[in-house]
Amino acid sequence: MGSVASPTQATTADGPVQKNWIDYIQKDLPEHLDWWPYTLGAIPLTLFGILVATGLMLTFYYVPSPEKAYESVDQITNGVYLGWFIRGLHKFSVDLMILFVLFHVIRVFVTRAYRTPGELKWVSGSVVLFVTLAMGFTGYSLVYDNVSYWGMTVVTNMLGTIPIVGTPLMYLLRGGEEVSGGTLLRLYDLHTKLLPALLGGLVLGHVLVVRILGFAEVKGSRGFHPFYPEHTMMMGAVAIGLLVLLTDLVMIFPPGLGPPANPQEVASDVSPPWYFSAAYMWITLLPAPLSLWSLLGGAGLFVVYPFVDRMLSQRGWPMAVVNALVGTVAVGVFAGLMLLDLWM
Amino acid sequence: MAIIHDDAGRRRFLSQAVMGFGLLFGMGTLALRFVQFLVPRPKPRRYDAVLIGAESKVPLGEALSMELGGHKIMVLRSDEGVAAFSRRCTDLGCLVSWSKEREEFVCPCHQGRFDKTGKNIAGPPPRPLDRFDVVKRGGQLYVNIQNG
Ligand code: FES
Repeated sequence: MGSVASPTQATTADGPVQKNWIDYIQKDLPEHLDWWPYTLGAIPLTLFGILVATGLMLTFYYVPSPEKAYESVDQITNGVYLGWFIRGLHKFSVDLMILFVLFHVIRVFVTRAYRTPGELKWVSGSVVLFVTLAMGFTGYSLVYDNVSYWGMTVVTNMLGTIPIVGTPLMYLLRGGEEVSGGTLLRLYDLHTKLLPALLGGLVLGHVLVVRILGFAEVKGSRGFHPFYPEHTMMMGAVAIGLLVLLTDLVMIFPPGLGPPANPQEVASDVSPPWYFSAAYMWITLLPAPLSLWSLLGGAGLFVVYPFVDRMLSQRGWPMAVVNALVGTVAVGVFAGLMLLDLWM
Repeated sequence: MAIIHDDAGRRRFLSQAVMGFGLLFGMGTLALRFVQFLVPRPKPRRYDAVLIGAESKVPLGEALSMELGGHKIMVLRSDEGVAAFSRRCTDLGCLVSWSKEREEFVCPCHQGRFDKTGKNIAGPPPRPLDRFDVVKRGGQLYVNIQNG
């Protein structure tokens, strides 16, 4: 690496006092990171890159107006050369990104990697999860078919039922009283500007925080595993496997398009994408205020979980067991609700 | 810590506190104005009784959907007379439609159901459908949408 010397190397040529960037990259990782589930954070990162690239390409054709939105998506899917492929990549990357963020969350949860000093990692990571979901929702709305139109109505109304801040928030998102062209434009701005900037910043912050705070200690694990090249190689292999998988998925399941938005008639099946279907079934099964409050409460609890863990383990709770149990139940409920949605 | 009890220290602290508050207040007001810029103002809507036609135009057991002054409405004629309901589901605002066989309003979004008097009977909706007064003047039906 001598020829690609970094600027700092010249100034500290004969002193190991100041660290070189290569030292940061080659930082030793605890041995337990040898196990591949510990690369699960790198997958969403790769997918995020694909999403930014394909998303940028899609904005060249997409028109965020109620008259043109659906038509332009149709053109991308059926007219533009390889348009279906780019849109498919974008679509499946979101699905996989959310899937792997969830896996990553489960892994962190079960191994309790959020323990001191990792609280900030968990909190920043959970915000990443929520913003990713918001990206899913806004992106899905841009298609402007009938399902996404009514999805916008339902979600904005749901926000509107939050006391005090709800109504202004609903107006803010809708840009008026009803879901309209203004709403589409606002969601477009959120999806292509505000949220990606936020998500990019958060992801960068999350990675930095992980690098700075380091990893939670696991008994018997020593710092023998360098980040570069070992861990990086593993992440690279995982990323390449991912790209192959993604391409196959898009070719086998090319993206489709429902009937266009109709403000006069609700689509007969308004099932949202899989990552919202559990929440969707939840609000279908429970009476209105209860379902919303339980969702909000659950999300809040999720964010502050490291502190809950600390409190409970100080009182002598066997948190490893509790987490395994909570994790299993949560995944079970999520999967159960999803199946119910498929079946209904 | 002795500096805290010093007069000069206290004066400096006070003036900094006042400045700080002033700055925060100013920034807060400014931020609020920006939010106000982004939140559109609701348009006032004023209409009153709107003619929808002769009573005989609505068949028994059938519901006609229409849009009057921005309200999506369903006019239902049952054995109890003519009633006008808002189609907006009281759960999360999808549009209900009338099922003739079941004699119910059904909402496709989360399977909410309302009976023919607009009462919520199943699913998540927390309250009955909004109603509009129907006035009859010389065989013609008017829907009063002012209270919508
Ligand atoms: S919007 Fe009608 S049941 Fe939810």
